[in-house]
Amino acid sequence: MTAVIKTHLPVFVVAAPLFVSFLLSPMARRFGWVQSLVVGVQGLGLLLAVYLAGMILKSSGVPIIYSMGGWPAPWGIELWTGSLGAFFLLVVAGVTLPISLYAVNNLSDEVGDATRSTRFFVLYLLLAGVLAGMALTNDLFNIFVLVEVATISCCGLVSARRGPNAAKAAFNYLILATLGSGLILGGIGLVYMITGNLNMGFAGIALNGVWQDYPHVVWMAMSFFLVGFGVKAALFPLHVWLPDAHSTAPTPASAILSGLAVKGYIICLVKILFGVFEVHLLDVFRLDQILVLLGMLAILAGSILALAQGELKRRLAFSTVAQVGYIVLGFGLMNIKGVAGTLFYLASHAVIKSTLFLAAGALISATGKTHVKDFAGVGRKMPITMGVFSIASLGLVGIPLFSGFVGKWYLLLGSLEVGNLTAAGVIGIGSVLCAIYLFPIIRTAYFEPAPEDDWQDPGVPQRLALVMLGIAVIGLGVLPGPLLQLAQKAAADLLIIP
Amino acid sequence: MLELGMALFSGVTGALVVASLPKATERLRRAVVLLFSVTGMVFSWRVAIKIFNGGNIGIIAQLGGLTWSLDPDPLGAMFGLIASTLWVFAAIYSFGYMERKTRPQTYYAFFLISLSATLGVAFSGNLLALYFFYELLTLATYPLVIHERSADAVKAGRKYIIYSLSGAAAILIAIVLTYIWSGKIDFASGPILVNTMRPGLNLLLALFVGGFGVKAALMPLHRWLPAAMVAPTPISALLHAVAVVYSGVYGILRVVYSVFGRELMGTLSLARKLPWVAAFTILVGVIIATQQDVLKRRLAYHTISQLSYILLGAFTLQPWGLGGAILHMISYSTLKVTLFFCAGIIAERADETAVSRMQGVGWSLPKTMIAFGVASLGMVGMLPLNTFWSKYYLMRGGVQSGQWSLALVLIGSGIINAICFLPTVVASFQGEKAKSSGETGGNTMLMLGPTLCLAGIALLIGLYPGIVWPGVEAVVNRFF
Amino acid sequence: MKILLGKVLINYPYFAAVILFAIGSATVLTRSNLFKKLIGINIMESAIFLMFIAAGSRRDGVVPILHMDDSLRPYINPLPSALMLTGIVVSVSVTAFALALIVRLYRFYGTTDAKRMSDIRNGVAKE
Repeated sequence: MTAVIKTHLPVFVVAAPLFVSFLLSPMARRFGWVQSLVVGVQGLGLLLAVYLAGMILKSSGVPIIYSMGGWPAPWGIELWTGSLGAFFLLVVAGVTLPISLYAVNNLSDEVGDATRSTRFFVLYLLLAGVLAGMALTNDLFNIFVLVEVATISCCGLVSARRGPNAAKAAFNYLILATLGSGLILGGIGLVYMITGNLNMGFAGIALNGVWQDYPHVVWMAMSFFLVGFGVKAALFPLHVWLPDAHSTAPTPASAILSGLAVKGYIICLVKILFGVFEVHLLDVFRLDQILVLLGMLAILAGSILALAQGELKRRLAFSTVAQVGYIVLGFGLMNIKGVAGTLFYLASHAVIKSTLFLAAGALISATGKTHVKDFAGVGRKMPITMGVFSIASLGLVGIPLFSGFVGKWYLLLGSLEVGNLTAAGVIGIGSVLCAIYLFPIIRTAYFEPAPEDDWQDPGVPQRLALVMLGIAVIGLGVLPGPLLQLAQKAAADLLIIP
Repeated sequence: MLELGMALFSGVTGALVVASLPKATERLRRAVVLLFSVTGMVFSWRVAIKIFNGGNIGIIAQLGGLTWSLDPDPLGAMFGLIASTLWVFAAIYSFGYMERKTRPQTYYAFFLISLSATLGVAFSGNLLALYFFYELLTLATYPLVIHERSADAVKAGRKYIIYSLSGAAAILIAIVLTYIWSGKIDFASGPILVNTMRPGLNLLLALFVGGFGVKAALMPLHRWLPAAMVAPTPISALLHAVAVVYSGVYGILRVVYSVFGRELMGTLSLARKLPWVAAFTILVGVIIATQQDVLKRRLAYHTISQLSYILLGAFTLQPWGLGGAILHMISYSTLKVTLFFCAGIIAERADETAVSRMQGVGWSLPKTMIAFGVASLGMVGMLPLNTFWSKYYLMRGGVQSGQWSLALVLIGSGIINAICFLPTVVASFQGEKAKSSGETGGNTMLMLGPTLCLAGIALLIGLYPGIVWPGVEAVVNRFF
Repeated sequence: MKILLGKVLINYPYFAAVILFAIGSATVLTRSNLFKKLIGINIMESAIFLMFIAAGSRRDGVVPILHMDDSLRPYINPLPSALMLTGIVVSVSVTAFALALIVRLYRFYGTTDAKRMSDIRNGVAKE
């Protein structure tokens, strides 16, 4: 029995949230059950993700390959739990659990009654399951399907709030994201046409033999993927939809969108670039330099745009644009330290940005204000919320012993190892800009007198979620051990270094 | 081990105690602050004495996948000793100064955290620990800079944070480069880059000096310092004349002697230009200082100038120069804190901040102005005061390095220093007795006491320079 | 020239796909009417479906069902068609969702034009 469960673990991790999400709708009348089911499934997911990651670590990176329906690779669909998959699965599970905890008993303001909230949870679980799928899949067409499901559930989450602004943001997002999906599907088609395979491993092998005959097709497929996933991952200058979407979404949705969804697309892109085209081809087509350049642009532009935003959630949304730049830049470095660093940075940003959005949501719903200058004195009235917000800010700026620093350290190591001083400089400037757009919020919160309003920390589940995430920010900074090891293994796998 | 931990954590512990007693009486709070600053001082002294006698104290921790080490050598021990000693004086002075100010709890909490951060900088045994405490110091002192909460203070705080964090970013990049090129980051085993000959070392030096130069107020990176003078006076005195700026100076000393090493420094083209950057800062800083009318701003520019004395000594790469630099670190800090304390008393008691309206202040605040006069003489480099000796060694260092003109710069700067301060002292004893609430009253004694005490110490060291010599010698022997 | 023309003629489904894709994406990006945007998206997706199916098809190919008599004749690759079925399902659901959003927007703004919507929004903000 246990053996059966063990062999089917990878598919269970992906299928469980998807399956449960379909069960939720009929249960809308018993909203308490819905909530406990959601949190329970996420908790189970986290346990399983930890278990899988532990197995991968113990076997030092030997992947667990699961063939769906028992059909072996080139014909069937594979779930490939390698070090990268386990890593991202762990990140997804680790961040979705506190976010769903935060959503408990907290949606009536932003989303509506039990029926609407249940629908919200349906979409939320769909997204969580799909992200887990993105972590594990090894099939190009599967990626397309997952990306589409993710897009639709993201748009649904954005439009969960009533009112025209949310609908407008969701519509813009939907149109641009579908444009991106079209490009991705086109890219998959091109790869399929020259390799005859949809399994990434086999497509990669086939491509290695034939790419010289079709250099233009390869180049076109690469750029289709880059632009397609770029739109979805809000890579500057394709980020235009992100600020509206992420800032109008309900709080838990903003957190999962900014913290995880964006990264899911990046992981897919990376899987395709490094798994199908492989380092050699990326080198030939100079994609490494393009990624670094795009990353630097995104860091600078995103940070400066964030600086110009007065609304708290918009500022955080633009900050995501900048942080995506760090992640893309790191993949462009194409050495172990850079890629491992960027993976760790991805994890740490997933935690930090969801923390920031959740804390911001708590601030906004408690005070009813949205502008960064409006939060005078909340530090004393809402000590937990603001404390966690400050911890996360310090982490994002990259103060040592917070999680952001470890990632930044390895990113700097990676970029200076290839002698790219400009990239290192941009990373440094990015941190300073990040401090400039986050610290004033902390200053007004702690060092300005509070008005006489009765503001309070949110309820118990929300506090628990915030504290969990705050501990994660520090924990990853002080003891990054296993996660960093996993990231290093994943980097070695991606770069095909034994 | 124990001494180090006690010295390092006394500040943070004290801050936690202060923070957890929001309703404490002023008396209790003062007792706590005094207790923990004295603990910090006592244990820093014990660490320093142990180190000067050739002992070794080290703590190594593996956190965040990186190695952090605390392992003070004589230079660090000396810095810790200076900072922690002056902290106690500043604490006592603060008791008087904060009597009628608001938010004492925040003030004392961050005051104590800054002590820990400064001692951390001093005791750090590798570049990462140094960087960590350097960042921590920036963050811990920021609330002190904006303590007044006025628009000016907020603006100054913003400037301070931006300058410091930019500097820290440059340092981080430099640290990573050092690590890649040499594979190590700890100071204990001699200069880190000693056998590294490769292009790009000049750039690395520029990154390091630029990064630490922000806090050391090396021109043209000095602009945050005059702005930060909106802080309460004990903070201006301690942080912006000693702790914070010394952490920058200390960083540069570390870079020159522990990262590059003097042999390697001697071969770098940028290293030969650095003494002149320092000389430029010395002269321009003090010239700008003479033109400032607000006393604290004048002192700020003067700080900028004096800090470069220390850097100049270090950049000569000569034993005499380094000795002079260390001696100047000791003597200048005593005098400068005295000057700031006097400025604070004048501002509080006579309600006067402009130099041009100091006439007659001396009659109403005689002891303050005498201390001010003594310190001014010291800044010029007159004999019975300690700075005479440091300037003398600095000049010898300059001559030893074959750059006569550096000695001339020091002499010239001494003369401008005289123009800068002495007329003020003289003017304060002329004219009618100015309006003032006098030097009596409990809180004034708390402010005046440390001031006179420090002036006395300066005189004492001037008369018997031998008492600090063992420490200086230990530092010089460490690197030569 | 002749060779080029020949290539174009042989690969005409791909060129059709490229033209359709260009029309679709241009419509999405330049039109401000939300319906037109949506139609553009659909055209663009059809272009990709066309490309996929063309990639699987063969001149004179037979239906890929095993017959005893002509098992050696080339058959049409069924996989792309199967995949495109999924693609069409996805595209239909996106369209449905987008239409629902347009309805919601129309109820509030009384228009389906993006430009007018933002005019109204800015007008509201000014008042």
